[in-house]
Amino acid sequence: MHKALAAVLVASASLVSAQSPLLDGPKRSLAKSTNAVEYLFPEQVTVPTGKPTAIALHFRVAEGLHINSHAPKDDYLIPTTFAIPAGEGVVLKDAAYPRGADITLPIDPKTRLNVYTGEFIIDAHIVAERGNHLVQATLRYQACDNNACMPPKTVTVPIDVIGQ
Amino acid sequence: MKRNTLVLCVVLVLLAIFGWAGWANWEYRRQAAEALLAQAARGELVADAATGAPQYNSPLVQKPAPDFTLEDLTGKKVSLASYKGKAVLVNFWATWCGPCKLETPWLIELRNQYTPQGFEVLGISTEGEDLAENDKAGWAKQKAAIGKFVTEMKVPYPMLLNGDSISKTYGGLDSMPTSFYVDREGKIIAAQMGITSKDEMEENIRKALGNSK
Repeated sequence: MHKALAAVLVASASLVSAQSPLLDGPKRSLAKSTNAVEYLFPEQVTVPTGKPTAIALHFRVAEGLHINSHAPKDDYLIPTTFAIPAGEGVVLKDAAYPRGADITLPIDPKTRLNVYTGEFIIDAHIVAERGNHLVQATLRYQACDNNACMPPKTVTVPIDVIGQ
Repeated sequence: MKRNTLVLCVVLVLLAIFGWAGWANWEYRRQAAEALLAQAARGELVADAATGAPQYNSPLVQKPAPDFTLEDLTGKKVSLASYKGKAVLVNFWATWCGPCKLETPWLIELRNQYTPQGFEVLGISTEGEDLAENDKAGWAKQKAAIGKFVTEMKVPYPMLLNGDSISKTYGGLDSMPTSFYVDREGKIIAAQMGITSKDEMEENIRKALGNSK
């Protein structure tokens, strides 16, 4: 009796794992399914309350892609922009963007683009109120590879700002 | 008595496990079906068997082109169906897309060359900006940028607005430019994602016209 029950239990467990939706999801498309830009660090900063303080925000552009710098060479192109929404207890006074790299694409050697590739750092000058603020800052960018461009995107940059 | 209680408990546990397995199976199939539907029209880049170069593999090829009606810059409604009998290059582009700007002169040249044979280009601006319907200022700014582009590039073909509203039916349009070549019967005979070459575009136009080499 016990052996029979044990056998049924084992069979049931196998059946359950075979059908678990967590084990075999649909295959991912080769289409651009991940963010072109990843926020690296810092996750948390401590700043003096009420005083403008510079924090260095590190980002990384995915391999094979580039994004426009903050000062692209053409009015049509969308600049990379960092922002902190109002009401977060932290105010963005200013942001210093890195100088982009001038590149040309194989398909169009005549046109020079000013872009960020790989890792880049934005120096954000912030003023924080006293207390702990989980800031949902944003980075807006528009990414391309050598032959095509992806729609502009705004991603959240979460930073825990402690004003003391 | 104790033994009966134990057996009852085991049976109940087993029933619960079977119930959960049934639910998990149903949920898995539901999610898979949803994913399948979403992927049905979505193209993807695959390596060409001969060269290894990435090629846009759209499931819409050899199928009727999804019809649409969009406004042009003057507010006139333009539908794909009204071009039946002509070969059409449906070109999704955006003002922020450098490769789109680069291929525009090719499109103009090819359009002018093949118009006498019954060919037209429909440019569809697909800015991907997620503007709210009531964001009048946003839409006006976008329209002004498209108008400026059309004037500067001297675009002679219809330039339609709000391609984002039809992007799902054309596979999601992850990247720009994306082009679909529609033959005289309204069937998509080729698709391209990203800039390729003027020669490749011309070859597809000739196929759509029914006079490929």
